[in-house]
Amino acid sequence: MTGRIPRPGRWSVLAAAAFTLAGTLTACSSSPDEVGSDAKQTIRFVWWGNEDRAAATEKVVKRFEKEHPNIKVQTEFSGYPAYVQKLTTQIAGGNAPDLLQLDRPTFGEYQQKRQLAELTPYVGKTLKTDGISDSLLAGGEADGKQFAMPAGLTTQLFVYDKDLYEKAGVTVPEDGWTWKQFATDMAKVQAESGRAGTTDFGWAIDWFESWLHQNGKQLYTSDRKLGFTEDDLEQYWSMLASMRQKKGVTAAEDTTKMDGSAQNSALVAKESGSEIAYDSSVTSYVSTYQGKLGYAPLPSDSKTESGMAALPPVYYGIAKTSSHKEAAALLLNFILNDSEAGKVLGTTRGTPPNSEVAASVCASATGADKETCDFQSKVKDRLSPSDTWLWPSGSSAVKTDFQRVYDDVIFGKSSASAGAAKVVENAKQSLGQ
Amino acid sequence: MSVQAATPAPSVTGTERRGLTVRTVLWHVAVTALVLVLMYPVLWLVSSSFKPADEVLSNLALLPDHGTTSNYSQVFGGVAGYSVWQYFGNSLLVSGLAVIGNVLSCALAGYVFGRLKFRGRGPLFAFMIATIMLPHHVVLIPQYIIFQKLDMVNTFWPLVLPKFFATEAFFVFLMVQFVRGLPKELDESATIDGCGPFRTFWYVILPLLRPAVITTSIFTFIWTWNDFFSQLIYLNDPSKFTLPLALQIYVDQTSQSAFGPMFAMSVLALVPIGLFFVAFQRFLVDGVSTSGLKG
Amino acid sequence: MPTIAQARSKGERAEAPVPEAQARPPRRRRQRSGAAYVFLSPWLIGASLLTVGPMLASLYLAFTDYDLFNTPRWVGLQNFERMFTQDDRYWNSVWVTLKFALVSVPLKLAAALGVALLLNKPRRGTGFYRSAFYAPSLLGASVSVALVWRSLFGSNGVVDDFLGIFGIHIGSMVDQPRYALLTVIALAIWQFGAPMVIFLAGLKQVPNELYEAAALDGAGPVRRFFSVTLPMITPVLLFNLVLEIIQAFQSFTGAFVIGSGRGGPSDSALLYTLYLYQRGFNNFEMGYASAMAWVLLVVIAIITVLLFRSSRKWVFYAGEGTR
Repeated sequence: MTGRIPRPGRWSVLAAAAFTLAGTLTACSSSPDEVGSDAKQTIRFVWWGNEDRAAATEKVVKRFEKEHPNIKVQTEFSGYPAYVQKLTTQIAGGNAPDLLQLDRPTFGEYQQKRQLAELTPYVGKTLKTDGISDSLLAGGEADGKQFAMPAGLTTQLFVYDKDLYEKAGVTVPEDGWTWKQFATDMAKVQAESGRAGTTDFGWAIDWFESWLHQNGKQLYTSDRKLGFTEDDLEQYWSMLASMRQKKGVTAAEDTTKMDGSAQNSALVAKESGSEIAYDSSVTSYVSTYQGKLGYAPLPSDSKTESGMAALPPVYYGIAKTSSHKEAAALLLNFILNDSEAGKVLGTTRGTPPNSEVAASVCASATGADKETCDFQSKVKDRLSPSDTWLWPSGSSAVKTDFQRVYDDVIFGKSSASAGAAKVVENAKQSLGQ
Repeated sequence: MSVQAATPAPSVTGTERRGLTVRTVLWHVAVTALVLVLMYPVLWLVSSSFKPADEVLSNLALLPDHGTTSNYSQVFGGVAGYSVWQYFGNSLLVSGLAVIGNVLSCALAGYVFGRLKFRGRGPLFAFMIATIMLPHHVVLIPQYIIFQKLDMVNTFWPLVLPKFFATEAFFVFLMVQFVRGLPKELDESATIDGCGPFRTFWYVILPLLRPAVITTSIFTFIWTWNDFFSQLIYLNDPSKFTLPLALQIYVDQTSQSAFGPMFAMSVLALVPIGLFFVAFQRFLVDGVSTSGLKG
Repeated sequence: MPTIAQARSKGERAEAPVPEAQARPPRRRRQRSGAAYVFLSPWLIGASLLTVGPMLASLYLAFTDYDLFNTPRWVGLQNFERMFTQDDRYWNSVWVTLKFALVSVPLKLAAALGVALLLNKPRRGTGFYRSAFYAPSLLGASVSVALVWRSLFGSNGVVDDFLGIFGIHIGSMVDQPRYALLTVIALAIWQFGAPMVIFLAGLKQVPNELYEAAALDGAGPVRRFFSVTLPMITPVLLFNLVLEIIQAFQSFTGAFVIGSGRGGPSDSALLYTLYLYQRGFNNFEMGYASAMAWVLLVVIAIITVLLFRSSRKWVFYAGEGTR
């Protein structure tokens, strides 16, 4: 092997090439680290969202860096499904970011798996909460302690095509529908227009949760157990079955694709005349729907429980393993409470959680943002506080399972009662009950 | 074998040529029809990038009612604070280096498995094939931990380095199959001429592997370009984002999505890989030196 | 005439430089073995550093309860027991995957080989046609492909309209349990570019003089295909077959994007790896997901071994004779 002359030459050329490559790679990818200096810190802030959110968030971060020259913020973003996988990989890989954006299922998941830092030590000091209503703050509490901060406010609503309803002779009752009236009116819309009155809302556990609250129950109890029974779900799905029979709600093949996005919305595809949604989706409905939209509260049989809550559309939490918790809390406070930052962020994560900021944002809002603000101020007094709307660890599995079983029900593979039993059985397993 | 011997008599050529023209026309008609059917979805994608926001989801027709180029101007106006060219550059860098790495390392490994006899060949080959049988989702986190320990997260290293170590068994196996298809007398005669295994590989095998090398280059480039998941996991800083990562910013299930610019950027992202394919497929031609060697 | 290729290979073996090899056998072999390991070193380094560890880790996790955040807890065979005896969705995903593989692999390979043969002869415009046939495969599987597929197979989609001409009204195929898997299969077949290019490359490796010799022997095009082309491309055929089967069993992204991350209406397109992914990253059950992955590996390995065994009968390597 050593006797051959040309070989070493070749190899050294190759090796040299490889090292040159290596050099260029490191040169263009090295990131400044905060090694050994206690003055300069780098914190990582991760979130998911769209372009508007990206632009606004970047601007606010720049402003924060200017105010705090010793803190550098590295932002990371991705789309929602990708975000969850990436964040999970990062945390499992021991490389958790410092400040993270969460939603209800992920908040429950990470909190219960002890990946989130307790914020109580910062509350009232670095982290001001005076401007944020207690009913909203409660959404970030677990076991009586603060683990996350609400990034905004959203609530459930009913979006409908105004002209379609007018033509069908259906008006939204002054103090909202009862479920019985609602069923009749939805069938009427279909009879008059040929389009189902509303998108079958049995697929999303979120709307079932509203219905449960109207009946004095909740989806999950405060000790993280299932808050409903088979009978509850069977009753709910049976109500939908009779609506489906009268074509008041969409057919199975229009319902199955629902995932809360505009791209798969039956309303946007004009297969139905309305939809139950979160008001944080109003902007996407307005931008994709051809027609004039109106907004109404959810139907309810209860005078006191509207089934609508003051929910954070997203939360912020700080990773338990973060070594820059103070700096992260500082950034968090800036995002939540700084009036200039609030103006830049606008309604990109729901209406701002700080009521002063919210008032000034809403005062200058236009278009879809204004619709959202107006709706929220109209139903303000009917929103229930978010503390009974917590989703524990396992809730994302329950949510997907709920929709899957509902598919079986609407495609006739399973009865409502068998489906309900299945959901409860699987949910108990997911929750570790 | 001499060239003249293979050439048929002139009269035969005459009749065949006339027969060929009819056949050629038929061939073109058939192939074009097939292409049109298969290309329809691609054309639909391209045309959707010219649809205004309120048409993108609701107008399923091939042609937009009101064509617009605003989706493109929005993309060229920058994505998430960076110029779209930066994402192009990152994607090109990663895909280009991946091609170099894969071609070199997989050809070497393919030559060894396909030609050389050595102790442990059977088990190692079996292991190599087995590595493509495990769904990558379950090795994702352990691999992430390795790159994390090597301090390579948020660099292009995790995307490029594995290619230089022939970790993609698909291409190793591809090379093996092509090496085994090469007549053995070639490298044996090279050995007689005093070439060592490396010179044999470099001067005899590699040139003969041209179809496999071209194939590997094409696939590596395109697949790395489109490889969303590893880029997602390993790149954090938006300035290092590749095109598939930047593309996500237009689609958000939880709030407003901008499908028009998303289509526009999808179309733009197709251009480099399309050009790469067009450029490289030309090398998939006859006349690799195997013919004529026999004589 | 047995195949020309066979005749040729016999000649080859006779021509092999036997005397030289016999002159210094021990030294030559040792040298070759050493050289083999030197050449293999990149692969060896890559495999031992980046592949073996993670694979062993996932094998270990298959016997644990692992929620991705807390320390894995050893549970023995419990994951496998649950999978085989209590999980209806698991068996559903097996069934869906089998249907997917059995339909998509043969059709995709047939399309790829057919088009490769069509485009093999140098004609005016072959470059353009090749690129056009490959174009669908450039798209990969992204959100835009999901929207394209909905425009084709959704309600009021092109396919629905087309079938309407014949009085067939199905509605949205993507959203019905009976048809959803078909649309995923259609996507897989539509993107036949990769095996097509590999077939083309294989066809290019067939020495021209074999065709010339066959033509001189008076063999027609059909005869030439079966006695020259087919035997000469069996190595790539084996490659495509093995790889397409492996990829079909692991197919993920197509079903993932078409079904917005779920397994299609009523789990009708819940492919094995999609279910595995849901278990691992949605339900945070990475132990269970790893167990599923290793069962899949064993099944694929058995199929691959059988294919390789059978390949001794039907694959012809020009470099090695008929074996």
